[in-house]
Amino acid sequence: MSLDFDRKDCFVVDGKLALPYTYFAGRMGSKFITTLRDEKKIMGVKCPVCNKVYVPPRQTCEVDMTDIRENWVELRNTGEVTNFTVIRYDDKHLPRKAPFILALIKLDGADSPFAHILEGIAPEEVKPGMRVEAVFAKATTSTILDIDHFEPARVSKVQVSEPAERTQAPAAAPRSKEEMEQDERRKAMSKKVIITAALAGAATMKNQNPAVPYTPQEFAEDAYKCWKAGAAMVHVHAREDGGMATHDHKRIKDTHDAIKEKCPDLIVNMSSAVGMGKTAEQRISQIIHVKPEMASLNTNTMNFSLVDRKSGKVFIDFVFENTFTMLQDFGKAMEEAGVKPEMELYDMGGLDNWLLISKQGFFTKPYNFNFVWGVAGGQAFRPDAFMTMKHALPEGANFTTCGVGTDQFPAITMSSLAGGHMRVGLEDNIRIPTGELAKGSYEQVEWAVKIAEIAGREVATPDEAREIMGLRKK
Amino acid sequence: MAHRKKNRNVGIIGIGQTKYSSHREDVNQPEMINEAVSAALKDASLTMKDVDCIVHGNMELFEMVHQPDLWHTLGTGAYGKDCIRITTGGTVGATIACAADNLVASGMYDIVMAIGFQKLQEGHTTGGITNMADPLWFRHLQTGALTGTKAYDVIKEFGEERAKRASLMYRVIMDKHAGLNSNAHRAFGLEFEQIDDLIKTSPKLVGDLKLIEMCSQSDGACCVIFACEKKAKELSKKPVWVRDHITVHREEVFVMFGYDDRHPFPMTHRFAAEQLYKRNGITSPVDYFDVFEMYDPASWWAVDWLRDFFMLKGDEHLKLVENREIMIGGKIPVNPSGGVIGSNPIGATALIRVAEAALQVRGDAGTHQIPTPVNHALASGFGGTMWTVLMMLEKELNWQGVNNG
Repeated sequence: MSLDFDRKDCFVVDGKLALPYTYFAGRMGSKFITTLRDEKKIMGVKCPVCNKVYVPPRQTCEVDMTDIRENWVELRNTGEVTNFTVIRYDDKHLPRKAPFILALIKLDGADSPFAHILEGIAPEEVKPGMRVEAVFAKATTSTILDIDHFEPARVSKVQVSEPAERTQAPAAAPRSKEEMEQDERRKAMSKKVIITAALAGAATMKNQNPAVPYTPQEFAEDAYKCWKAGAAMVHVHAREDGGMATHDHKRIKDTHDAIKEKCPDLIVNMSSAVGMGKTAEQRISQIIHVKPEMASLNTNTMNFSLVDRKSGKVFIDFVFENTFTMLQDFGKAMEEAGVKPEMELYDMGGLDNWLLISKQGFFTKPYNFNFVWGVAGGQAFRPDAFMTMKHALPEGANFTTCGVGTDQFPAITMSSLAGGHMRVGLEDNIRIPTGELAKGSYEQVEWAVKIAEIAGREVATPDEAREIMGLRKK
Repeated sequence: MAHRKKNRNVGIIGIGQTKYSSHREDVNQPEMINEAVSAALKDASLTMKDVDCIVHGNMELFEMVHQPDLWHTLGTGAYGKDCIRITTGGTVGATIACAADNLVASGMYDIVMAIGFQKLQEGHTTGGITNMADPLWFRHLQTGALTGTKAYDVIKEFGEERAKRASLMYRVIMDKHAGLNSNAHRAFGLEFEQIDDLIKTSPKLVGDLKLIEMCSQSDGACCVIFACEKKAKELSKKPVWVRDHITVHREEVFVMFGYDDRHPFPMTHRFAAEQLYKRNGITSPVDYFDVFEMYDPASWWAVDWLRDFFMLKGDEHLKLVENREIMIGGKIPVNPSGGVIGSNPIGATALIRVAEAALQVRGDAGTHQIPTPVNHALASGFGGTMWTVLMMLEKELNWQGVNNG
């Protein structure tokens, strides 16, 4: 098409509109900017329903319309580039001389990226996924440019085993009518009992009970049978073909996915203990990789040994390390990844440890605890100790229980009477109450269902269990 | 003027409003909208899951935000839902009510949420309105609804003293109504004794249009939920039924080319009213309706328009005002809410008329509820270059015998 059309005698009116303009940021936007300016902290808000963390913050969750204005979380100054563009022209409104990089950066722990300047790297070297960290401005402008720019991160992996630099004040959210109603519903639902099957653990081997699963396929078959028998959740430590507990991401994910494929309804709760001798990084990184709906969170450093119950002889001595820092960093990493932690309490000290760390405010309600009885290094099952533990829990918390060996069935019976939930499975005990080897974890689930019947409790479906424990189906 | 018979009946089952005020520094736009949306959902005992479609409306570019419906998803709850943005100027609030009614009546959606809002303090109305005029002929800065011609007309017809007193009488009545409505932006506490003083002292804006007679600029949002008959009956104890609505406009009569005595320009009001009443078999609207929520941008207009909307003759409309028959407790209460003179978040303004009329029918208007039963309500929208929208609301589903097909 020719651009040479006739312009003769075409009158053009030149004009200019200069328009006054004001923008009201609202309280959310204002707090984001003032906290950035005054405390050099990048704040977001977390939706307690879908676990999405929004940066910049917003008043409602766009997905489920939950009012999240009080649910502030502090984010790390590190993150990754999700996409970028290169500005190649100069203009007075632009914050830098061209060329410069404008990147979308998703901070660690956030689910939404925001745009900012990326420096310290040539445009051709930028790749989506690269790790970056914020550099704060020396002088404040009360704008997003109080973060002067981002630059490539000095350390490129997520450090979960180092202490976090800062802690955050607990969110003092006033309880709304909706929240209280939800609590009421949860209470009513809690009359239903959740049965969990711990399929394998790290230590129970096929030579003790041939039904112990090792391969993803065996886990899936076993999980399916437990679900049919009444279990709402399975607890999983993945194994190698030879039976050794593994921290290999692929093997763990394959095991998780095989169960979900065979049994999409079932809740999968993964172990963050994994097995003996695993490092903190090995223990948590696989959880973040797989992102199950729930994972165990261990609350104290303790002996976790093999000791002959009759003679008292020590077979294997092992210290199960769960420092405060690990409790904090694992807990934060799980909450940020949308994995609901199940706090493992081996004695009252573990609960006190958790209560201390929970003051930081990052754990989301409802809280879920598991009382573990009979570990050589932990406390043995006693009904009065059980009730003392229950009474010490935060208000509205859920609890389940499991016991090693012969502690298993007495402990879960106690729990079913006390309003708690029940965990069985070959991880904890290879037998059924008659003393015979269990044909599989599912046979113990059948026994748990009988106990629930005797206690007058209905068995929860997986979706009911999600509602009770505050999980979001994945 | 054919009006097709409705495919199915539509009821209003949820109403939510923000407080209207001059500034809302504490919320941004989606946050402000969410206040109205949450209130409407609560009023209807629904969650966003129940809503099938959102109709979003405001005066375009008054906040200097392009595609506001997308930015506002956080407040409207439109995530993953059908959402339609409508903008027809000052009438937009009424247009989204009509659109929501049509969308439900058509069978496309069972539950539709209409959201009107404006945050006038953020942008510049003149900047938005100025672009209406063709710069080749005239693009002086336009001030929208600010015009003195109606004062001139009324004074010419009824004499200066009577006309000015009627305008101020209307204004004081609106102020008294606004004083009863906790959501209203402006309630000065005016008294009838001040009428003569105000005529002398209130600053003149254009001709005889005085500051006290003009509406405000407000920030605020309104949300109304429409449902099909089946859902409305299931979900609501007191659904308010949308009987009919009509939209009339004559875009060419923007009065910049001079005033033509043969075609007084707000003819759209009378034309719309005539058509609507004719097809609904209403012969005396003043007797038929129990309340009228009128889009009254200024008291001069309001007084004059009563004659058009109620199809009155001579000075019957002035007498309604002078005898305070338009007050709560009078023969035909107009704007128990305080009207547009009381609160004017423009994109919400015409929807507020529908919302307030529906609240009166439900009997839920609280301190500004009309004490006598409200079975039939009328709401109007006004804007642009003489647009009129009228919507009729009913308490009972009993007009089907009337020939409106």
